[in-house]
Amino acid sequence: MTQVEDAGVDARPERRRPRWTPTGRRRAAVAALLAAALYAPFQLVPFHVFQLTMVLVYAVALLGLNLLVGHAGQISLGHGAFFAVGAYTAAVLTHGPGLPYPLTLPAAAVVAFLLGLAFGVPAVRLRGLYLALVTLAMAIFLVPLLKRFEGVTGGSMGLTLPKPGPPAWSGLAEDQWLYFLALAVAVASFALVGSLLRSRVGRALHALRDDEGAAEVMGVRLPAYKTLAFAWSAMFAGVAGCVYTWVIGFVSPDSFTVNLSITLLAGLVVGGLGSTAGPVLGALFVMFVPSIAQDLNEAAPGVILGLLIIAVMYVAPTGLAGLAGRLIRKIPRKE
Amino acid sequence: MSFLVVEGLVVGYGEARVLHGVDLSVAEGEICAILGPNGAGKTTLLRALSGMVRARGVIRLGGTALTGRPPDAVARLGVAHVPEGRGTFMPLTVEENLRLGAFVRRGGREVEDDLDRVCSWFPPLRDRLGQVAGSLSGGEQQMLALGRALMLRPKVLLLDEPSLGLAPLVTRELFRIVQAINQEERTTVVVVEQNAHLALGVARQAHVLETGRIVLSGTAERIRADEQVAQSYLGYRV
Ligand SMILES: Nc1ncnc2c1ncn2[C@@H]1O[C@H](COP(=O)(O)OP(=O)(O)O)[C@@H](O)[C@H]1O
Ligand SMILES: [Mg+2]
Repeated sequence: MTQVEDAGVDARPERRRPRWTPTGRRRAAVAALLAAALYAPFQLVPFHVFQLTMVLVYAVALLGLNLLVGHAGQISLGHGAFFAVGAYTAAVLTHGPGLPYPLTLPAAAVVAFLLGLAFGVPAVRLRGLYLALVTLAMAIFLVPLLKRFEGVTGGSMGLTLPKPGPPAWSGLAEDQWLYFLALAVAVASFALVGSLLRSRVGRALHALRDDEGAAEVMGVRLPAYKTLAFAWSAMFAGVAGCVYTWVIGFVSPDSFTVNLSITLLAGLVVGGLGSTAGPVLGALFVMFVPSIAQDLNEAAPGVILGLLIIAVMYVAPTGLAGLAGRLIRKIPRKE
Repeated sequence: MSFLVVEGLVVGYGEARVLHGVDLSVAEGEICAILGPNGAGKTTLLRALSGMVRARGVIRLGGTALTGRPPDAVARLGVAHVPEGRGTFMPLTVEENLRLGAFVRRGGREVEDDLDRVCSWFPPLRDRLGQVAGSLSGGEQQMLALGRALMLRPKVLLLDEPSLGLAPLVTRELFRIVQAINQEERTTVVVVEQNAHLALGVARQAHVLETGRIVLSGTAERIRADEQVAQSYLGYRV
């Protein structure tokens, strides 16, 4: 290209076709995925339906984490704590006051949101390593805290709850009903985050992720947006935690150790930071890979898991979503 | 009538003082050039004006004090800064970058019109709205940076070395557009340049900054005419 064209003096460059149009294929992919998701529970045995349900639960948690890490460029090593807070909010409200389960969802969302807001305020002042340490500390202190307030949380024994039963009109089995509840929450969450990211707010988050100084000059209030990113992110983790409680029917402190937080973050990075498919692929990773690692080597599953993560990152530095995107773009297109 | 007024501006990074009491005044609708050698503090002066660095002293814009305000508040008051290095959001699309320029305006019909207006000033951008900014050439990126700043409908436009790294032809075209915008929109422009010849070609007033002090101020013609000034302060002939 000549410099004259470059400056746009008069020779207007020919209108070029966009190199690839994501929307058409994207819509088709989402539709196909949704159809498969609606069909799957009628074809699978209950245990596999349960596994898929858990994938949906983790996908919502990773969706929240992705908003914070992938889109706003902040870090959290303690997102398992928000997940746990959502799970316990649902459990405690069901166990004590006997709140009907649909109402535990907004309750968990609000509690996690407020906690995220509370953590977002100091998080705004911290960067990188310091933020990582504070969020990690939150995850570490949560377990003893849950054990300590035995009267409410059931201590180390945890709380056992009835699972939401399928209404008679649905004709569904319990595992199928739970699956559809999780699917509904996941679809709504992905739609919500999708529209958030396409809005002015989403642009502000991307701007502060890419260049804080430049974002500020554009008029983005960094403290406000970072805090909000934290709160929204926590909210989705809390929502996922709530659905977890519905599905498992049991909460105990040992389900929410630091390990969970680290696995969530690892899952997201492997799945693909900042991409739409990342949380879903990451959820598959969180659900299946740790147990595969356990099967491969009873003694040191952590080592196997670590090696697997390194292998994936070596092959696909932008995560599995990036790898999938590259492969899809290689498929020739009909003109 | 002075629109942008700077009095006794002192700025430092940590212990190191960079600006030692800068006085400056820019009339409304005027293009003002800040010249000076590398390291003089030109970038720092613009950063102070847009709130990116803490400053002591007075900065007033049409009677409103800017000193001590954070950059987002200064942007809200109508100051658009094209920073050194342009501050392009590389992974975002051209359109997203432009819309971020209008971030404080919250959208609406006028923003859509301005998007169109910017695209007619910089036709190459219209053809690349959906492309990521990182894929643009240097010249296109500078157009994007300028276009994005204009999306604010700024009262004051701060430009930090728009010519840096660009071919002479591209640079001349950019300056022509800056001048056109200044005339059509009455936008006040403060442009920092090492390329004194170019800057003096469009500016009415010029100031020479050297090691944190204004050592010379005057009309662009006078400074351009004064070869001795050019030799001693700018280190080269203009
Ligand atoms: N972020 C910074 N931290 C510390 N010193 C800086 C920083 N930016 C610039 N300086 C110093 O301030 C002085 C002026 O720099 P600058 O404003 O960039 O000058 P110019 O734009 O005129 O080349 C230089 O000595 C430079 O080393
Ligand atoms: Mg500079």
